[in-house]
Amino acid sequence: MKKEDTVKLISAEGFEFVIDKEAAMVSQTIRNMLTSPGSFAETEHGEVTFPEISTTILEKICQYFYWSLQYSRGKETDFHIEPELTLELMMAANYLHT
Amino acid sequence: MSNNNQKKRNFQIEAFRHRVVVDPKYAEKTWKILEHAIHEIYNHNASGLSFEELYRNAYNMVLYKFGEKLYLGLMETMTRHLVEISKSIEAAQGGLFLEELNRKWNDHNKALQMIRDILMYMDRTYIPSTHKTPVHELGLNLWRDNIIHSEKIQTRLLNTLLELVYRERTGEVINRGLMRNIIKMLMDLGSSVYEEDFEKPFLAISAEFYKGEAQKFIECCDCGEYLKKAERRLNEEMERVTHYLDAKSETKITNVVEKEMIANHMQRLVNMENSGLVNMLLDDRYEDLGRMYNLFRRVSNGLSSIREVMTSHLRETGKQLVIDPEKLKDPVDFVQRLLDEKDKYDNIISSAFNNDKTFQNALNSSFEYFINLNPRSPEFISLFVDDKLRKGLKGVSEEDIESILDKVMMLFRYLQEKDVFEKYYKQHLAKRLLSGKTVSDDAERSLIVKLKTECGYQFTSKLEGMFTDMKTSQDTMQDFYAHHPELGDTRTLVVQVLTTGSWPTQPGVTCNLPAEMSALCEKFRSHYLGTHTGRRLSWQTNMGTADIKTVFGKGQKHELNVSTYQMCVLMLFNNADRLTYKEIEQATGIPAPDLKRCLQSLACVKGKNVLRKEPMSKDIGEDDAFFVNDKFSSKFYKVKIGTVVAQKESEPEKQETRQRVEEDRKPQIEAAIVRIMKSRRVLDHNNIITEVTKQLQSRFLANPTEIKKRIESLIERDFLERDNVDRKLYRYLA
Repeated sequence: MKKEDTVKLISAEGFEFVIDKEAAMVSQTIRNMLTSPGSFAETEHGEVTFPEISTTILEKICQYFYWSLQYSRGKETDFHIEPELTLELMMAANYLHT
Repeated sequence: MSNNNQKKRNFQIEAFRHRVVVDPKYAEKTWKILEHAIHEIYNHNASGLSFEELYRNAYNMVLYKFGEKLYLGLMETMTRHLVEISKSIEAAQGGLFLEELNRKWNDHNKALQMIRDILMYMDRTYIPSTHKTPVHELGLNLWRDNIIHSEKIQTRLLNTLLELVYRERTGEVINRGLMRNIIKMLMDLGSSVYEEDFEKPFLAISAEFYKGEAQKFIECCDCGEYLKKAERRLNEEMERVTHYLDAKSETKITNVVEKEMIANHMQRLVNMENSGLVNMLLDDRYEDLGRMYNLFRRVSNGLSSIREVMTSHLRETGKQLVIDPEKLKDPVDFVQRLLDEKDKYDNIISSAFNNDKTFQNALNSSFEYFINLNPRSPEFISLFVDDKLRKGLKGVSEEDIESILDKVMMLFRYLQEKDVFEKYYKQHLAKRLLSGKTVSDDAERSLIVKLKTECGYQFTSKLEGMFTDMKTSQDTMQDFYAHHPELGDTRTLVVQVLTTGSWPTQPGVTCNLPAEMSALCEKFRSHYLGTHTGRRLSWQTNMGTADIKTVFGKGQKHELNVSTYQMCVLMLFNNADRLTYKEIEQATGIPAPDLKRCLQSLACVKGKNVLRKEPMSKDIGEDDAFFVNDKFSSKFYKVKIGTVVAQKESEPEKQETRQRVEEDRKPQIEAAIVRIMKSRRVLDHNNIITEVTKQLQSRFLANPTEIKKRIESLIERDFLERDNVDRKLYRYLA
C-alpha cells in the first residue's frame, strides 16, 4: 500500500488507524479535509486527529467505511451495531457527515 | 451512517453530553480561532492550520446555537478582506489592472473554497434552516458588491474589456487567456452580472462599430469584396465567442453583425452596379453567390430579396432569348440556348444556393413564364428533338441520350400548350419514321415513355400507334412479296400502311403516279384489301420517298434519293427534254405549293441541280421551263436531293397547324365540361371555367371565351341547360 493512498486516523486516546483514503472518503468531512485546495495540516501529514472520538467508536467507524464501500459496490450485507454504541456512533456520523 | 439515515433525520441531535457549555465566553473564543484562520487563509498561511480543529469549532458553534454569530462574523471578516483587495486592484496600473484582478479573483476563489470546507457543517444545517445564502454564493456576492461593483473598478473594468475587444477587431493580438478568465469570472458571478456589466454594453458598442465599418465598406468595395469582409467579420465574432465569451452570446453578437452589415445594406448590395447579384449570375461566380446566399440566409427577407432579383433578371434575359427575332432563326440553337440557360441556373442553385427548393421553384416559374411568351416554343422544342434524333445522337452514349431527353422533357413541362407540341411532335415523328431517318429506336421509345409518364396514356397513344403501324407494315410487305414471286427479290415498292387518325395525314392530297408505279400500287392494293376486308386505302403521295437510277446526257450514272413528288416530276423527263411548269403541273397533279418547292429543290440547289430551268432564277415562276441538266456532276454515286426536311413552318402552315390545334381542343373542352357537370349536376359559370382550366392544364391553357362557346354549343345539343331563375347557373341534363 503506497503512503499517499492511505490516511492515518487518530482517536481521542491516541490510537492510530491506517486505512485507505478511498475508504476514509466515505466521510464527506474527511473528504473535504483531504481535498480542500489550501494545504491544511491534515493534507500535508496524511493524518487526522479526532480528539472527541473514542477508539472504540473510531474502530467501528473504520469498519463502517469498508462495509459501505462494499455495499456501494453491490455486496449487500448487514452492518451490525452494538446497541450501547448507537448514540455515540450517530453523533460521530453527524460530525463526519457520513 | 447510511442505514441509520432515516432515523437520524427524525432525531433531534443533541450536543455531546460531556461538553455542555458553561463558559460564557465560549462563543467569542471559538470565533476568534476561526476568524484568525480566515485571516491566515487569505494570507496564504493555511499550512499550519488543522482542518479538523477548525471544522470541529465551527461544528460546535453551530451545535451550540451560535450559528448566527458565525455567519455574521464570516460576512464581516470576508468583507473586510475584500475591501483591502479592491484597494490593491485599484492601485494596479494600466495593463496590470486585469492581471491583478484575475490574480485576486483566483485567490479569493481558493480561499472561499477552503472557508466553505471548514464551515461545511454550517452550510449543511444552519443555512438551509434559516434560509440564508450558502457560503460559496455569499463569497461570490460579496466579491461582486465589493470589487466588481465598486465605484473605481466597475467602469474601468468595462472600458478595459471593450478596449481589448476593439484592439482585437483592429488586428492587434490580445491576451485571450486573461480575457477568458475575466469573462468567466463575470459569468461565475451570475448571468445577470455578465449580461449587465459586460454583454449589453459590448453589444451596443459592437453595433456602433459595425455600423461605421459597413458604411465605410459599402462606399468603397464592390459587392463580392464587401460580402467577403462581412463573412470574415462574422466568423471573427463567432470565433471570439468560442475563445472567451459565453456561448449564449453567439446569436446575440452575430445578430448585431448581421443587422449592421447585411440587413441594413441588403438592397444596395443585391442591386450594386457592376458587381451585384446580376453580375455574379452573369459571370457564374459561384463562390460569391454562395457567400451571398449563406450571409443573406441569416437575416429575414434576405433570401427573398436574392430570389426576387434573380427571378426578374432571369425573366428579362429569358424574354430576350425567346422573342429576339435574331435568335429565332435556328430552332435547334434556340432550344439549345434555353437548355444552356437552364443548366447554368441549375448549377448555380446546386453549387451556390444549397439546392434551395424555393430557388428551384423560382427558376421553374421563370422558365414557364418566358418559354410561353413565344407561341412557337412547342414547335421549336419538337424540332430540337427531331434534330437530335435524326443526326445529333450518333455516337453518343446511352446515358447522354437519356440526359438530353430528360432535359428536353424539363422544357416540355414548362409548356402550357402541350397539345401544340404533340401536334408538331407527331408530324416530325412521322417524317422520321417514314424516311427511316431516326437514329435510335430506343431513344424514340424512351422519349415516348417519358411523355407518357408526364401526360398519360391518352397523350401518347397515337404516337405509339405510329410505331405499331411501322412494324405491321414490315410484315405486310413480307407477305405481299411472298405472294408475288414474279416481282423478284428487289423490292421496287415499299408500302407503309398508316392508320388514319394516328398519323398527321392530309386527306385527298394525291398526285398522278407514273404508269410503271400505278400498276405496282394497284397490285398491292388488291393484295391488301384481299387480306383485310372492309378497309380503305388511299395513297399519301406527299409522304413517300424514292430511289431512282439515272443516266445523264454525258453518261454520268447516279442514284438519286428523292421524294415521291420529285420522282413523279423526274419520270416525266424520260419522255420529254423540255417541260414547262404548266405542263408538269398538269401531268402530275401535284398541289402548287408542293410542286414549287419540289422543283426548287431539283433545279435551284447548287450541286444538286439535276434539272435546269429557264430563266435562271432562285424562285419558280409559272412560266418557267425545265430541262434535264446534262452537265450534272457529283463526287458521289448516290445523291440525296433535299426533300422537304423538317424545318420551321412557314407562316401559312403555322396558321394551319394553329387552326388544327384549336379544332382539336374543342372536343377536349367539351368532354371536360361534360365530365365536370356529370358529377356536379349544377354549377355556375365561373366555377366551370376554373374547373375546366384545371382539368386541361396538363395539355393546354384553355381560353375562357372558347370554353364559353363550348358551353353554348352543349346547351344547343341538350347536354346542359341554363337555370330558369339564375341565368349564370348551368344544369346537367342526363
